[in-house]
Amino acid sequence: MLDVSDLVTAYGKIEALKGVSVHVEGGKITCLLGPNGAGKTTLMMTIAGILGPRRGSIKLAGTELVGLSPARIVSRGVALVPENRLVFPDMSVHENLLAGAYQRNDKREIASDIERMYARFPRLKERHDQLAGTLSGGEQQMLAVGRALMSRPSVLLMDEPSLGLAPIIVAEIFDIVAELNRDGTTIFLVEQNAHMALKVAHQFFLMEQGRITFQGTPGELAEDEVIQRAYLGTRRTDQAGEESGR
Amino acid sequence: MIDLVQNTIDGIMIGSSYGLLALGFTVIFGVMRRLNLSYGPTIMVGAYFGTVLYLDYGAGLLAVAAAVVVGSVIAGIYVERLCFAPMKAGAGIASMVSSFAIWMQLEQAAILVLPRHTYPFPAIGGGAPIELGPFFARTDHLIMLASSLALAAAVQLLLYRTRYGLGLRAVIANPVAANLVGVNVKRSIMLAFAGASAIGGVAGFLVLAVDQQVTPMFGMWATLKGLIAMIIGGLGSIPGAVLGGLLLGIVEIHSQWQFGPQVRDLFAYFVLFTFLVARPGGLFGRVPEDGLSNRA
Repeated sequence: MLDVSDLVTAYGKIEALKGVSVHVEGGKITCLLGPNGAGKTTLMMTIAGILGPRRGSIKLAGTELVGLSPARIVSRGVALVPENRLVFPDMSVHENLLAGAYQRNDKREIASDIERMYARFPRLKERHDQLAGTLSGGEQQMLAVGRALMSRPSVLLMDEPSLGLAPIIVAEIFDIVAELNRDGTTIFLVEQNAHMALKVAHQFFLMEQGRITFQGTPGELAEDEVIQRAYLGTRRTDQAGEESGR
Repeated sequence: MIDLVQNTIDGIMIGSSYGLLALGFTVIFGVMRRLNLSYGPTIMVGAYFGTVLYLDYGAGLLAVAAAVVVGSVIAGIYVERLCFAPMKAGAGIASMVSSFAIWMQLEQAAILVLPRHTYPFPAIGGGAPIELGPFFARTDHLIMLASSLALAAAVQLLLYRTRYGLGLRAVIANPVAANLVGVNVKRSIMLAFAGASAIGGVAGFLVLAVDQQVTPMFGMWATLKGLIAMIIGGLGSIPGAVLGGLLLGIVEIHSQWQFGPQVRDLFAYFVLFTFLVARPGGLFGRVPEDGLSNRA
């Protein structure tokens, strides 16, 4: 479905992605784990077209996405739920969902999709007139997911949907992820919460210092080891050196 | 009492043009979170387009108005391409300083093209003032007020009732998130600049038609009035811009009536100072939690 190969993205001279290849299979949940600063968000932003890669390719069902504007990438069927949600705080819940359908022109279909979102997220329906900035963190996360779904993506990218949420809300968010997937959405998920992520993921990738260091299915590697590497990385001393050198 | 009301009426009339200038300013500031000091001078360029048409070709009022608006838009896009589009995020100061440089450039260019200090500008309205009981209003003032209110309402509708407005508000809230939902951020910003310049062009045309003369200093005048009215009203707020303009106009006319024309601007700055100290967010604005620094 989504094929990333040999992707290099740099901030100035510092390469945040040093040749990353990831295969996201259609209809599955693929999870990207790794410690802070591994380059996970950079990968998501590069796929979404916000950052331009120095090299490499990103193909959606065979079509190259590198070089397309973020707007084009959305209309091709890749939507990102960004880290920290980034809902539009001064717009109502309803307007946020409308904004999610910005690339679409089919007014009637958009309206029925909004109803579908309200059916899936009843709390958004209750608060449809409220400004998004006044929602709780969990509600904002649901809104961010709903907003991304409004573009009718074939691949949904999610960057740390559990960030800063209470455990009970995190469980709810992961239920939603699993449910979306059961309804046929391909999901590529970045998570810090490795324990939760491994429960829903069909496949996972480990990323450390801008490289993929392991890929497999949950169970292939003991959960303890995955978690250890997801949080701390394997080359702890090297990484400490690199991070202080930045 | 009659004087008080009459002065307030006059203040509202004059203030409506300030409101219009502030409206253009606020659109640019809202979208970019950057100050465009060249805003007034771009309108002055438009005004010179209009004056040249009027003087050399005997153009009619509508043609002059169109020329002012088109000239402002062209100059506005020139400033956007030069001072705003190429500047990276976090380089807001670079935009401001370069827009100051372009201000000087435009002013000098205007002086080169029309070296006499003052040039005539066609009048609108004319005829006797309209009487309303003991009060009266000039027709050109009424046209100015009506146009200002209509334009402000149109901008409000555009922002809150159209797809383009939704996209622009998304850009204002968060350019990255706007990009992620598929808004073409760069194009939205350029269109917003063009729109703001067009609003400024209308404001400039109305003010100059009331004054019936144009000088190269008009650019500075427009930047200052728009800036003060915008700050009083609250950064980035459309109703704030209009009300800030009206308030500024009322204060100016009253102070001029009481103490003479030489203190008029003094009072304007005093009001600005009071707001900056007592209510820095203005009438409708609020100081963003993250401040302006990390987006400037």
